[in-house]
Amino acid sequence: MAFQLTPVWFIALPLLVAFAAPLWVRLGLLMSMLFATPLVLFGLAVSLFPAVGDAPLLETIVIAPPLGIHLHLDSASLLMVALFNLAGVLFASFLWLGDTEPHLRGRGPFVLILLLITGCTGLVLTGDLFNLYVFLEIAGVSAYALSALRRDKTALEAGLKYLIIGSVAAIFILLAIVLLYLETGQLNLAALARDFGDIPAAMQGLIGLLLLVGLGVKAELFPFNVWVPDIYRGSDPAVTSLFSGILVKAFLFVLFHLVFLLLADPAVARAWLMALGALTMLVAELVALRQQDMRRMLAYSSLGQVGLITLALGFASEATTAGALFHMVNHTLVKMLLFFVAALMLRRFLSLRLADLRGVGHAMPVATALFVLGSLAVLGLPPLSGFVSKLCILKGFAEAQAFWPIALILLAALIEAGYYFRWIKVFYDSDPAAPQCRSDDGPAYLPLVLIAGLLLLLGVAPFLIEDWFVQAARALLGRGTILESVLGVQS
Amino acid sequence: MSLMIKILFLAVSLSPALTLSTWGESLAWPLFGGIELLFDLNPISAFFLLLLALGAPLVALPMLRGAPDRPAYALYALLLLGMQLLLLAGDFIGFFVGWEIMTWSSYLLLLRSSRTDLEGAQSYILFNLASAFLLLAGILVFHSLTGDFRIQAIDQLGGPEPLALAVLFGLAFLIKVGTLPLHLWVPRAYDQAPDIFSAFLSALMSKMGVYGLILLATLFPEALSGLLGRLLNGPAAGYILAWIGVITSIVATFKAISQEDMKRLLAYSSIAQVGYITTAIGVGSSLAIGGALFQALVHTLVKLLLFITVAGIILQTGRRRFNDLGHLIDRMPISFLAVLIGIIGLAGMPPLPGFAAKYLIFVSLIDARWLLLLAAMLLSSTAAFIYCYKLIYAPFLGHANSPEAKTATEAPWPYLVPQVILMGLLVALGIFPGFGIQFLIDPVLTALGLAPIGAPSWGELATPYGGYDGVVLMTVFGTAFALVTGGFFLLRGRMRRAGSPYDLSYAGEVPTADTPLHYGAGMGRELRRIPLIGWILLHTTTGFLTGLTRQSLAAAGLLGGFYGRNPQTWILLAVLLFALALTLVTLTGGAL
Amino acid sequence: MHAIVDSLAMIGISYVMGFLFYGFYRQFNARVQRRWGPSLWQNFFDNMKFLLKTETLTHGPMFFLGPMIIAAGAITTVLFVPFLKDSDWLQGFSEHGNLILIIYLLVVGPLGNALAVGSSGNPFGVMGVTRGLTRLMGLEVPFFLGLALVMLQHETTSVHAIMAAQDGLAQWNLFTNPIAFIVILLPFIASQNASPFDVVGAPVEVYAGPRVEFGGRLLGLLMTQNMMMTVAKLVLVVDLFMGGAGNVPILILKAFSLFLLTASISLVFPRLKTEQTVDFFWKVPLGLGVLGVIATVWLPWGA
Repeated sequence: MAFQLTPVWFIALPLLVAFAAPLWVRLGLLMSMLFATPLVLFGLAVSLFPAVGDAPLLETIVIAPPLGIHLHLDSASLLMVALFNLAGVLFASFLWLGDTEPHLRGRGPFVLILLLITGCTGLVLTGDLFNLYVFLEIAGVSAYALSALRRDKTALEAGLKYLIIGSVAAIFILLAIVLLYLETGQLNLAALARDFGDIPAAMQGLIGLLLLVGLGVKAELFPFNVWVPDIYRGSDPAVTSLFSGILVKAFLFVLFHLVFLLLADPAVARAWLMALGALTMLVAELVALRQQDMRRMLAYSSLGQVGLITLALGFASEATTAGALFHMVNHTLVKMLLFFVAALMLRRFLSLRLADLRGVGHAMPVATALFVLGSLAVLGLPPLSGFVSKLCILKGFAEAQAFWPIALILLAALIEAGYYFRWIKVFYDSDPAAPQCRSDDGPAYLPLVLIAGLLLLLGVAPFLIEDWFVQAARALLGRGTILESVLGVQS
Repeated sequence: MSLMIKILFLAVSLSPALTLSTWGESLAWPLFGGIELLFDLNPISAFFLLLLALGAPLVALPMLRGAPDRPAYALYALLLLGMQLLLLAGDFIGFFVGWEIMTWSSYLLLLRSSRTDLEGAQSYILFNLASAFLLLAGILVFHSLTGDFRIQAIDQLGGPEPLALAVLFGLAFLIKVGTLPLHLWVPRAYDQAPDIFSAFLSALMSKMGVYGLILLATLFPEALSGLLGRLLNGPAAGYILAWIGVITSIVATFKAISQEDMKRLLAYSSIAQVGYITTAIGVGSSLAIGGALFQALVHTLVKLLLFITVAGIILQTGRRRFNDLGHLIDRMPISFLAVLIGIIGLAGMPPLPGFAAKYLIFVSLIDARWLLLLAAMLLSSTAAFIYCYKLIYAPFLGHANSPEAKTATEAPWPYLVPQVILMGLLVALGIFPGFGIQFLIDPVLTALGLAPIGAPSWGELATPYGGYDGVVLMTVFGTAFALVTGGFFLLRGRMRRAGSPYDLSYAGEVPTADTPLHYGAGMGRELRRIPLIGWILLHTTTGFLTGLTRQSLAAAGLLGGFYGRNPQTWILLAVLLFALALTLVTLTGGAL
Repeated sequence: MHAIVDSLAMIGISYVMGFLFYGFYRQFNARVQRRWGPSLWQNFFDNMKFLLKTETLTHGPMFFLGPMIIAAGAITTVLFVPFLKDSDWLQGFSEHGNLILIIYLLVVGPLGNALAVGSSGNPFGVMGVTRGLTRLMGLEVPFFLGLALVMLQHETTSVHAIMAAQDGLAQWNLFTNPIAFIVILLPFIASQNASPFDVVGAPVEVYAGPRVEFGGRLLGLLMTQNMMMTVAKLVLVVDLFMGGAGNVPILILKAFSLFLLTASISLVFPRLKTEQTVDFFWKVPLGLGVLGVIATVWLPWGA
């Protein structure tokens, strides 16, 4: 077959579609293309799973050595790509079906959304540091612009702040890349991994810290995540769902991909990463207790979950890693659901403050029920999928006889329940002042119900995709395999 | 349409009965990572499933009244599903799944009441989730001990793990049964829940904690004795559990006496009654577990009866405080009879089955030589007479104290049918305690590896310490009653009904409608003058929890200070931390 | 047939013993107070007078049923206490019961009557009931604990078995387990509604007592059951601590000596308030009981 299925399509196709935006506008196909592109790629990703499970797909487009595009598609990155595209499909269908605001439906957002997905896909696929930085900037810039889409005071402020903090993080990462290149003369990740051990220890520490701070800002780890609530609060809730659902996941993946690849023994960084994860989780959950705005509350909750994922990935055992990857998928789905609900409520009530949402359960029963379902999933209560992934992580810890993370995770979940159930209680308050007319605009709920169905399905029958996570965890932790496959090709 | 939904709902409420009667072989459901959910019916779970099968339709029946409340129906169905999963589970993951579904669906049902306030709802869900998470932690410890999730006895007893396991599981289940000081959610939840649903909460959901406690004992070889050894003639670990149970019942009993609201009184009485069960499980002998199960059975029937009846009273009068009711005996005679039977069962008076349960527990305490526990338990069980009397006196006797109480009519039939069924069951079980022992209790005891109690005949309750015959007792009492009443009428003289309710010996005065004649809520107030009771009623653990909430909110506020709104500070923070970490790394020698 | 005759005999004996003992008590009381007192038969006359009144006021059906329940409870209690040891007669249905059942049966009647009092709508009556229940809460704990010591000693709850184990004077539980006897003695007096714990139904407290609304034949019935119940309790203690009785004269003798003891104690102490009663029971007899438990169960020679 002349048409070769190579990883590059995951990046090329959305780019092509994005740059052909004027054409789609003329044809009136803008929304359908936004929906179809990730759908096609999601289908492609799912169909690739068996093949990638056997051997990772590699592709190198040489520009000028050592510059080139190395793409590395293994089970772990494929899982991420599939997740991002699924999120893209859900997001597009929400924009399309739900009669969303015009500033989310124009040509600009179309391009930015596709670029964001492309950037994130590139981040997880790339096999060299240079392109890592390029994709990081693509994803970052599209995110800054997306967050300022609404063009009112808060949105512009959020966009500007996002730009500032994002650039600072990018500088840290760039510095690390420069240092790495200076020390080893390599940009290819596999080659870097081979040579990283030869760098002097002090330099290793410096590079590690630079990366940790840079990616920590991007991946929203405490104490580098202080910017998150502000940005999430300022952006559109629908857009925020992309940040929380895709962008963070991509950076988390990159962070751990680098950690597992560069360090021969991930145990070196284990204490640091787990401590960061635990801190992120506990601090975020605690702070969320007092939030009065739904977007801020969801932002902190998102941080808490990121902390949990970091804690589990940092432990670097196969079971916890598989669980953490599963949890990433769940968290993306859940946060999209919750932010969509927030978007619907915002449109109806023009506010997302707790006091203004009293009795919303009587006015928007379906949306509120979906919010409840999402909360249950994010808390990890059965029979929803959040439970299975959390159980998987906890079981991994228990098998390794590590009990303190279990205690912390359960404590954090309890605190989390404290605020989620407070919101639910307020939603169902019987408030005579609340509007009693029930209106649920039908089609907008379709993607939400789909997510809810997925959460339930994955909670009841997680064995359907168990293999994906186990393979992905192996691929992510399998430093030797990566080195062998990549360097074997190069030499 | 709405009729169809109601019929469907009723059918769903019969599902536990259907499961119980038609359950075939075991089921397995693979979940993830080698975790497999196993479902099977064993005698222990069959007993608790029987309670559910009895209670679920009886609670569902009153819910059918009026326009169908679809969300409530759906949540109730989920709740039943969760409880059945939990009871059928052969492994801890299935158990936990059922436990959690039960927790959140009951929470959402609780929100259906307009009386639920934020504090009540939060304390319900947080206590129950704390229980669930403790349970999960215990399950993980169990997993690390056995490498498996199946419910089975652990083989290793040394080391801290079995103790940790017992403490984690124990705390989880003790929260669920609402023992002191973990009971704070109970009175609020039972009080604020939809009136009918309170019956379910108290009668059936608290029993899941009891099921858990019994399950906990099966995890250790030699049950609780394997944990800390023996004390006198019982397990030392159980001695602690038993004291927890007894102190719970004493405090809860006195709190119940001081309540001024029917549902709150019943809530505290539930705590006290389940405290007896906890005590009996602590004793752990065959007699004690038999007593615990019997008490669980009786308490289920009694609390269903009482909560449903009280719900009927509230429905008809709109009042729930003792002060506002009174003299309903003529207007609600069936409800009166229901409460009468209910309190006799609650107080553990012969000939109703509450006595059989108490008898077994008392005898087991004597057998274990734990006499101080016996005395303490007797204190609460005698003090219970006072709140029982308050419960029947204030609504039904005395004088009507509000316009609604003066005009109320008997509760509608969906409330009365369960009442009549439950009264029948209680009386039958009281006459035939041996039947209950032989067919309901003994299979469980055998499955637990304990000696069955056995019953020479259906009417007889027999223990190595002696027993009694329910049929003879009932016959003697009935005959004596009939003869006395008959003889009374044979005597010369006539009866005359008092001309008005104010025709009283009232300190030489003639009372009028304005005279405060209803002794309702004030009953038991003078008990505060007794030092011990006064002390108990003065103290509460609420302060500790509000303090905890305040502290965590303060911590939240403090930490929230990090999340400023100024990008400069964000960058400053990042750079400073980077510099700090770098210094640290350099100082400690390079490597990360 | 045997059962019917036996039951009637037990009821008759308890009634006769009851009014004679009460008659004696009134005499005894009067002599101590240097009065002539009424005749030995006075209680019988009083009771008959009430039972033959021509008119009785009621306050509704529950008010009427209460005294019936309490009387039926008293008869049931009498029939479940074995009066004689090693005999076919005067056993009632006691082989179908046990000590714990009897203790609870003692309370059935009063609780039934409490319903009647509540039904009357007189707040003073209800106040009296509450006082009675409060006192019960106080006395029951040491009373039961003392009996539990006996049950533990003989490892049974059967009154027959406990009686059978006390063959001679030396085996009387009064001597083998004196702590138990001392523990139950004062609660026993209270359960007889005797001074100094008689605030609930004392003559001067009638206006704040459970009987305030009762009159005529209903009051007569209450009086009858009270006398029978007193005898049942006396016989029970005789069975448990004084080895039971082989025949009726010995039974009367033992019961009478016990009655004399309690009556003497009653006479010399002033009446306590309800709260004082409860507090007293939880301090002195219960404290003694705890000491008894420690001595017999916890300390090494106990086991």
